[in-house]
Amino acid sequence: MSVSVLIVDDSPIARKMLKRALPPDWDITIQEASDGAQAIDIYRQGSVELMFLDLTMPNIDGYGVLEVLQAEGLNCIVIVVSADVQPQARERVLAMGAIAFIPKPVNPEGLQEVLRQYGILV
Amino acid sequence: MIKGLNEDQTAALQELANIGMGQAGNSLARIWKEFVHLSIPRIAMVDASRLPDLILGFVGDTAVSASRQAFHGGFRGEVLVVVTAKDRNGLAQLMGFEGQLDAAEREEVLLDIVNILGGACVGGIAQQVSAEIGFSAPSLIGEDLDPLDVINPEQLAIDTALSLEVCFQVENRSLTAHLVILLPNNEVGALADLLDQFLCTL
Repeated sequence: MSVSVLIVDDSPIARKMLKRALPPDWDITIQEASDGAQAIDIYRQGSVELMFLDLTMPNIDGYGVLEVLQAEGLNCIVIVVSADVQPQARERVLAMGAIAFIPKPVNPEGLQEVLRQYGILV
Repeated sequence: MIKGLNEDQTAALQELANIGMGQAGNSLARIWKEFVHLSIPRIAMVDASRLPDLILGFVGDTAVSASRQAFHGGFRGEVLVVVTAKDRNGLAQLMGFEGQLDAAEREEVLLDIVNILGGACVGGIAQQVSAEIGFSAPSLIGEDLDPLDVINPEQLAIDTALSLEVCFQVENRSLTAHLVILLPNNEVGALADLLDQFLCTL
């Protein structure tokens, strides 16, 4: 069955780079959000199973999105994809419920390894 | 969209600069042993004749310090970092300097900052577009300068410059450094070509 994926990043190029890094034969439907507020709106519609979340964004940043998701029961898998590669950023988002942190630029092999590690990609 | 680059090239440059600044933030966090909050880099291409006004707009009517570092290779130019005296002192504290700084210590701070920020930003962009790039040793432009005197457009052989504004926040301290990347006229086209090649891979 198709996996519902939400890619959240203010940069259209970053969203393209991420889509390109996803397994080409993976059965998914992709939605995109260009800021945190839009991501929360889409998440609240209830269909998102996997969210790729940037941290540095206008309106609500990635940390803000994670706060909202946590407060609302975190009903999807969140993988943070960020250029902020400080170890503290990774620790912080993992403590806020993200299952993994992937540094930008996204390495396709690294991303697919994470997806397999968590049983998202079989 | 910024002058000399189309919409896609501009978006690509913005994201590549963002990745570069993320690496700069990590370098600074390791040096400062503090978590560094980074703003989204604000990027724009400006006419060289407007550079003094741009710097004045960044900092307001206050004295600034500035340093520079040239880069060469796949595309060449120069990166400038401009900070106010207050931000320079804040950066110095984070780098472990205490009390009143002497001239050599202030220079060391300013050269380190242009080295880290310029290297990470320009180096990050170059790495992503698969361009080899090298850097010259950084140098001090000056201290306690009038913002309008940091750059004299008449002495530049360029028409345009790329400006990048980055803000850092460390705990309760907010520090801002302003980066300006000067690209000679023919280098904007070289950068545009490299960005196109990058975009073709997406």
